[in-house]
This record gives sequence, C-alpha cells and structure tokens, in this order.
Amino acid sequence: MMDRNEGFMRMRILQVIVLFIFTLLIGRVAYIQIFNDEYTRGAARNVMRVDVQYPPRGEIFDRNGEYLAQNRECYDLMVVYRDMDKAGFDTMRLCQILNMEPRRLVQRLKDARAYPRAPQRVANYVSQEEKLRLDSENLRGFYTVSRTVRHYPLHVGGNLLGHLSEVSQRYLDLNPEYSKGDYVGIGGLESAYEEELRGTKGVRIMERDPRGAIKGSYMDGIYDSLPESGQYLISTIDARLQKLGEELLEGKVGAAVAIEPSTGEILMMVSSPTFDPEELVGRERGNNYMRHLNNKRNPMFNRAVKGRYPPGSTFKLVQGLIGMQEGVLRPEHTHPCHEGYSVGKLHVNCHPHASPADLRFAVATSCNAYFCYVFRDILENRKYPTLKDAYDKWYDYVESFGFGRRLDSDFLDENRGYVPTRERYDRDYRRSWNALTILSLSIGQAELGCTPLQMANLAAIIANRGYYYIPHIVKAVEGRDSLDRRFYEKQYTMVDPKHFEPIVEGMWQGVNVGGTSTMARLEGYDVCGKTGTAQNPRGRDHSTFLSFAPKDNPKIAISVYVEHGGFGASAALPIASLIEELYLTDTIRRPELVKRLKTMEINYKRAYGN
Amino acid sequence: MATNRAGSLFGGVDFTTIILYVLIVLAGWVSIAAATFDETVPQLFSFAHFYMKQLMWIVVAFMVGLFVLLLDSRYYHMWAYPAYIGGLAVLLLTLVIGREINGAKAWISFGSFNVQPVEFAKIATALAMARLMSEYSFSITRINDLVKVGALLCTPLLIIILQNDTGSGLVLGSFLFVLYREGLNQWLCILGLLIASLFIASFMLSPMTLLVVLILLSTLSEVMVSRQIRSRIILVAGMFLAAFIIMLLSKFILDEGLSLYVSLLIVSLIAGIALAIYSIRSSLSHAFVIIVLFIGSVIFLLSVDRVFNALEPHQQKRILSFMGIIYEPAGADYNVNQSKIAIGSGGLWGKGFLKGTQIKYGYVPERHTDFIFCTVGEEWGFLGTCTILVLFALLILRLMRMGERQEEPFGRIYCYCVASIMLFHVLVNVGMTIGLMPVMGIPLPFMSYGGSSLIAFTILLFIAIRLDASTRQFSINQL
Repeated sequence: MMDRNEGFMRMRILQVIVLFIFTLLIGRVAYIQIFNDEYTRGAARNVMRVDVQYPPRGEIFDRNGEYLAQNRECYDLMVVYRDMDKAGFDTMRLCQILNMEPRRLVQRLKDARAYPRAPQRVANYVSQEEKLRLDSENLRGFYTVSRTVRHYPLHVGGNLLGHLSEVSQRYLDLNPEYSKGDYVGIGGLESAYEEELRGTKGVRIMERDPRGAIKGSYMDGIYDSLPESGQYLISTIDARLQKLGEELLEGKVGAAVAIEPSTGEILMMVSSPTFDPEELVGRERGNNYMRHLNNKRNPMFNRAVKGRYPPGSTFKLVQGLIGMQEGVLRPEHTHPCHEGYSVGKLHVNCHPHASPADLRFAVATSCNAYFCYVFRDILENRKYPTLKDAYDKWYDYVESFGFGRRLDSDFLDENRGYVPTRERYDRDYRRSWNALTILSLSIGQAELGCTPLQMANLAAIIANRGYYYIPHIVKAVEGRDSLDRRFYEKQYTMVDPKHFEPIVEGMWQGVNVGGTSTMARLEGYDVCGKTGTAQNPRGRDHSTFLSFAPKDNPKIAISVYVEHGGFGASAALPIASLIEELYLTDTIRRPELVKRLKTMEINYKRAYGN
Repeated sequence: MATNRAGSLFGGVDFTTIILYVLIVLAGWVSIAAATFDETVPQLFSFAHFYMKQLMWIVVAFMVGLFVLLLDSRYYHMWAYPAYIGGLAVLLLTLVIGREINGAKAWISFGSFNVQPVEFAKIATALAMARLMSEYSFSITRINDLVKVGALLCTPLLIIILQNDTGSGLVLGSFLFVLYREGLNQWLCILGLLIASLFIASFMLSPMTLLVVLILLSTLSEVMVSRQIRSRIILVAGMFLAAFIIMLLSKFILDEGLSLYVSLLIVSLIAGIALAIYSIRSSLSHAFVIIVLFIGSVIFLLSVDRVFNALEPHQQKRILSFMGIIYEPAGADYNVNQSKIAIGSGGLWGKGFLKGTQIKYGYVPERHTDFIFCTVGEEWGFLGTCTILVLFALLILRLMRMGERQEEPFGRIYCYCVASIMLFHVLVNVGMTIGLMPVMGIPLPFMSYGGSSLIAFTILLFIAIRLDASTRQFSINQL
C-alpha cells in the first residue's frame, strides 16, 4: 500500500498530464484557427464556384451606322467534374441535345477529370433552345454560362474585321490578364482594337454544397463584379463599297483599297478571295477554318495590307514627281518614243503612240520610254558626286511616298513592301551597276514591292497634291473624343505640292481626253487615273489601276490590283471605276459592266494550281 | 458540516461540476442545432429537427441524473459487481441480437431508438474497477491482484472487439491513468504509455520523423538524468552526420544508394547497441534502460511498419478497422481535411450561429455526432473551441479533485475512472477533428448527438457526484 504522500505526488503528475494534453489540444486548435489561414482559404475553395461573367464585345459599325459585326447571345456549357453524377450520367442524351459527337464529349469529360474542382468547358456556341433543354434536364455538375459571339449581318469583311478565337496557351503565357476559354481577336480590326473591344470580365461567386448544388451567392455577393461591355467602334468602312468590291473581285485574286484623301479614312478594303466571317463562328468553325487554311489561294491572307506586288506603270507618277523636284524634268520636256527605249543592247518596250511626248501625255498614254529618260536623268544628275548618291536620294524620295516602309496604319500586320537599297545592288552586282542596270525600276518593275494599301495611299497623295493622312480603319471609338494624334497630322512627301499639277493633268487626260484609262470616265466627276500592267514571272501580267475623283476636291482615292488580270484597263480599271461610281453617285448605271466583271474568268492554274 | 448537508436532497452535491455539465450539454445542443438546422421544416419546434429530439434527450438525461442523485451511494458499491455481470451479459446479447451500424454490431434497437450497450458497460466496468481495487486485501503491487484487474478490463474489451467496435473498447486502456494513481509501478505505466503513443504515432507520422523524434526524446530523457548536455549534443550531431555520410557514400557503391532514413536507422541501431554495452560496463543503469527502450521502440515501429505494409490493401483496411481506425480509401484524409478546414475557417471569432458554410452544406461528415467539434470551431471560432476545451479540462480536474477528497478508495477510484474516460474521449475525439489522432468513431461526451451516449455519460458523471456528496456521511467500509 502506498502512502499518502506518494499518492499526492502522483495526483500532481496526473494533473500536469491533463493540463499538458489540453494545452496541446488548444495549441493545435489555435494554430489551425488563428495562425494558419490555409484552412480559411480551403473553406472558400470548397464552397466557391467562380462563374465568369463575360462582357459583350464591342460591336463594329460602318461609317454610315450599319452593323459590320454584331453580338449574338449564346452559352458555354461548363462542368465541375467532382460534382458530376458519374453513375447516372447519360452521355448519349447530352450528345443528342448538343448535337455533338459522343467521342468528342467523352474526350472533353476526360480532360475535365484532370481538374475535378475547376469548372471546365464542355461545349461552346450552345444556342438558346439547347440551353433551355439542358436546363430542363438539370444535370448535376453541369451549368451554362452566358456569353456573346459575333454575328455579321452583311457577311462582308472577313480579313478586314478579323475573327475571334479561343486564346492559345502561348498567348495566355504572354498575356496573363486572359484566362482559358476567353476569346481574342485574330487579325484585322478585332486584333488591332482588342483592348477597346474586349471589355472587362465580371465574376459571380456562388456557394455550393459538396454535391455541387448551388446554394446562393457567396458572402451576399460582396466579391461579385459586373462585366463591363467593350467599347463599340465606328469603322471608316463604307459597307456598300465593301460589299460591291468583294462581289466584283470574286473569282479573282487581288486586292482593292479606297481611301478618303482628305482624312486618310479607308473607305473599302477588299482582299480576294475572302471568306464570310460568319463561317468562323459556331460549331463548324474548326472545319471551315481548316478548309480556308488548305485553300491554295489563301483566303485568310489579307492581301490589301500584306500582299507585295510590283506597282507597274502606276509608279511612273512617282518618277515624274521626283524628276521635277530634282530639277531634271520639266513638264514641257519631250522625249521620243519609238515603241520603246533603246540603249545599246538594252531595250524597254512600249506600245505604239504619238511621239515625241511631254510629261502630261506620257502619263496619259503611259509611255515607258519617257520615264526611262526621266529615271536616267534623276540618277545621272551632276548634283551628286556619284550615281549611287543620287540613288540614295531617289530612295529617300520614294520612301517619303510611303513605299518600302510601314505606313503605321492601325493594322497590326501591315507589310513594309520593298524598295531595293543601294547596298542590295552593290551586293547583287558586285558594286558595278548603273542607271541602265536598274532601268526597270523606272516603270515600277524589278524588285519593287508595294502593298495595295501603299498604292492607294499614293493615289491619295496625288489627290491631295503632295501629302497624306496615315490611312486608318477606325473613325471613332466609344467614349473617346479622338483617335491617336498621328492620324490627324499631314504627312508631306519630299516633293513640292506645285509639281503635282502636271501629273494630275496627265491622269485626267488619260481618262477624259485619250489614253489608257478612258473607260474610267464618269460624266461630271473628272476622274483621274493611271493604269498599270505589271510583268511577273508566274504568268499573265498583273492588272492594276490607280485613281481618284473628282480632280478638284477629291472624295475618293482608290487602287485596285488583280493578279494576272492582264492590262490595267481590262480588270482593275472597271472595278475601280464602278466603286467610284457607287461612291460618288450612289448608283450604278453600268449593269452590263458589273455583269461582265462578275463573269470574267482569270486562269490561275499556273500561279495557284487551280 | 458534512452532516448539515445530509438532510436535503442536494446535500453535499458539487454544484461546480453540475454547472460545468449543464454548460457543456447546452453548448452541445446549440452546436447540434447549428449543424442540422433544416430550413425546409417550417415549424421551429417540430420534432423533425434534430435539436428538438436532442432537447427531449437532454430533459430525459436531466431526470436520469436526478434519479442517480436520489439513490443512496451505498447501492453503487453494492451493485458494482452485479452491474458488471449484467453489462457483460448485455454485451454478449448484443453479439447475438445486435444491429450492425457502420460495420460494428454494437447496437440494440428499440424501435427507431438505438442503444449502444458499450456506453453503459463503461459505467459498470468503472464501478467494478472501483469495487475491486478498493477491497481491503487488494494490493496493486501483487501480481495476482493485477491479473484480476487485467481480467476485469479485458473481458468486456474482448466482447467489444468481437462486436467489431474496437474504437469504443480502447477507452478501457485509459484506466492506466487510474492504475497509476493507485500506485502501479511507474515503469509499467511509462511502458504502456510509450506503446500507446508509438502506436498512434506510427499512423500519424512518417517513419523518418518518428525516428528523429525518438532519438531526440531518448537523448533528452538521458540528459535530464545525467545532466551532461554538451557531450550528448555532440553524440546526436555525430550520429546525424554519420548517417549523412553513409547516405552519400552508399551512392558510389550501390546502384540506388540508401535513403537518409535507412542510413539513420543503421547508424542509430549500431550506436544504440554500442552505447548499451558501454553503459553496462560503466554501470550507467538509467542510460541502459533508456537505450533499451529506444531500441525496443525502433524494432516495434519497424515491425508494425513491416507487417502492415506486407499486407494487401483490403487486409490493411480490415486491420485498421479492427483497431477502430476508420479506413478511408483514395484521398485518405479527405474527411479529416474537411474537418480541419471547417475548424480552421472559423478563425478567432467564428462565423456566427448558423453561418458556417462547411457545416451547413455538409462538407464535414458526421457533423452533429462524432465531428460536432467542427461546428463549434466554424461558428464560434477559437473563442468557442477554447471555451469548450477549458470546460472539459475544468470538469476533468474537478473530477480528480472530487476523487482526492473522498475518504474511501472506492469513491476516489471511481472518480478517477470517470476522469480518465472523459480525458480519453475528449483527446481522441477532438484530436481526430484537428488531425492529431486517427479517426475513430468515438463521441464527444455530452455534446455529440444521440440519446444513449448522453444518458450514459450523465449516469457516469452523476454517480461520481453522488459518491462525492455523501462521502463524509457514510463510511462504506463500516457497513
């Protein structure tokens, strides 16, 4: 038997043990509840389902208020895999409602299994009726999220507007403000004005029980935010011109750009072949996309800003202007032309016309020989120590017209075009080259590459007699007083405005008196124009036409380029003329010309294999 | 003074204990209401609500408690053995006619009302223990008497194990607490405690952590005796360094190399054996005992680990559930994690009554029964959990004090039995909800939903109060 003291000591020890155990429990509870907020976050994660509220994307109007791109209500079907009723789930039923291949649905669900707690998208472009049917099925773990997709009532401007695509992983890595499932603009206006158009996403946080049933708003919605819709854009495009341009160029490969010279606003931008933007919305999107991608004529390539073409005879205008500015050419200068220009063995052909010609007549009749003389005079100018210095000067002139560099328009993927540099020739000809070596530059051939936008800009420069506004596609953005200030600044070329008059006269004569462009005449509108016929190694000549009207106070400047269309006057000119007619007179009085163009067949077998 | 109390009904009743009891019961009731409040039932006082059912049980429990106080304390001494025999009989009966709930055939049904006889068997066993150990001829140092105690505890335990309800049976292990108070050899107590804690630790900690803890613990206890800190620190540091070097070297010799755990195991066992031999030679008996305990623990752990891991998963599951640990497939600790989340998200002040999302939406399993503590944690925060734990601590310490002031061993032993049962339940139940203990199906006394558990605990406690109240009036031995 133990004594009382021993018992007392043991009681004390047991008391200490009890206190120790409770200290341990309280300490642990304190750690969990006070010093570690991981569990608080865990609780939030448990009950929260974060629903993204997608903002409607800004809509796009043409300059007259017509919808170019509109929004249409649609839904995404989401799933939280953990909440799914795996046993009672009927795959076929869901496929039936969504009109979806079972194989794809099974794949999507399998993907969703990797993130069982996170909402994953099962299907997009779910229509209103499909959503109602899904709601009545009340599938556990599934829910729909409202969002908008594009609708294009006029079905025009595929390349011009661009399209929307789900963000790629690469894009996500570079732009953390986006998240999976977001749409982002690809190409054209959609990508150039992505920031303005996209709006701000909102969130709605819901509380759910462990089976995924929604119990209400989390914390009475204090963390919720409403989506802010994107800003609408008023484009500079005139939908009527766009539609006509696309119709006229159908079946042809090429591009047409029209600019309002007094503002630099792009009135029309056609790249042909094109696609109906509506085809890249909805469940058929993937198939259509692949079809266009596999089309050898590449309908998703915006030739108007990315295509590079030899400008041909339209470039003679630039040569004449440079000649006058450099003082080596006066408008009354005449040069002989006997069906071409010959120096030694070198011969540049020309078509038969009256000789000798002065500048106006040479422009009107598009005399090759005349501009060979002009170009030689520019390069062999005594002012400069060497011919190469003269070439450098010439290069600077050409660049001031917007060639060989980006115009800095609001298109993100504008091509620079190409003007050969002195270094390039030094390399190609091992330093021994002269004016004759590069003579074909004088008539816009050889290495020269210009985008249709640059060519239309040239038309605007001449229409304005010496300056341009940077071409742009957006007239106004919702909630903004003005555009970027670069679009309001006159960009002067290095040629004095006074030298433009003879060139304009020549272009006017070519249409209205006699020359290559007489078919472009519009009674009462003093159309000025210049044809171009560009040789190329891949087949028939390219047909191009550069024009503006009226001569005084011009309203429209246009450039049309038809690949392998033959003479400038045969394909490009009538198209340009009809567009000018529609823009200036609001009607078309030459339906037979429209019909002829629409039935015009151009053989692209050699160039594109079909 | 004592005689003054004798006349009235509540003479000598310890009101502190009663108040603690009432507070805990009410806190439990509020928590049950919060955990199970069903908005779809329109009537607030409908018996479709769990809290209304529980309220009924609380009233019943109060009346039972009153009845217990009314009985003469001598009866408890008298009926100790008959109650024990009766308890065993009911346990056996349960084996035959019992109803199986959650895999344990431990329930007897009266219509829709289920009783778990083990709850009442605990009371009988506590009474029998008190009776046996308070016999005049009983001596805890005598092997014969210890065997009697062992038999008294193991018989019900065996039946409970047969019912597949081991978790509830393990509570009898807590009587070690009582045996220690009554003078059981302290080394036996330490051994028992060591095995129990090692056993639990082997489920809660990784082998590596366990080994490090063991090394540090045994060094610490040795230092407390020998008071040589520096040399022991150098020794331990040397062992870790050696283990590290062995791990690195092994990479040159073996393809895979040894893990740090295996290296440390080898080093500590070799060092242990060497030190054991050294301590015998230098006649350092305490060091020898500690080292032997250390080596024994390591071997115990290794064999538990070995045996357990060699088994098929379904066998592991069977063994775990045999030991009363609720086995959870895939995502092993989902329930415990949810429980921790619920408690942890309460923060300091809690989310407020009926505002706990984890509880309300049912993220926590068994939220009104075994995991009732989560409700307290989520809705009343640290303030609530701390209050509840303090209330339980006060109750247990109060019971020990009541035991100490008894003049008769019977009352003292019984009070200690009650204290140890409470301590075990609180430690295992609360420990389980905060991830300190493996999951066992053990209720929180007075708080978990259920009439049979509440009434049984009430009887258990009120017998202690009754014994305390009358301790100075009658000397049972003189009867």
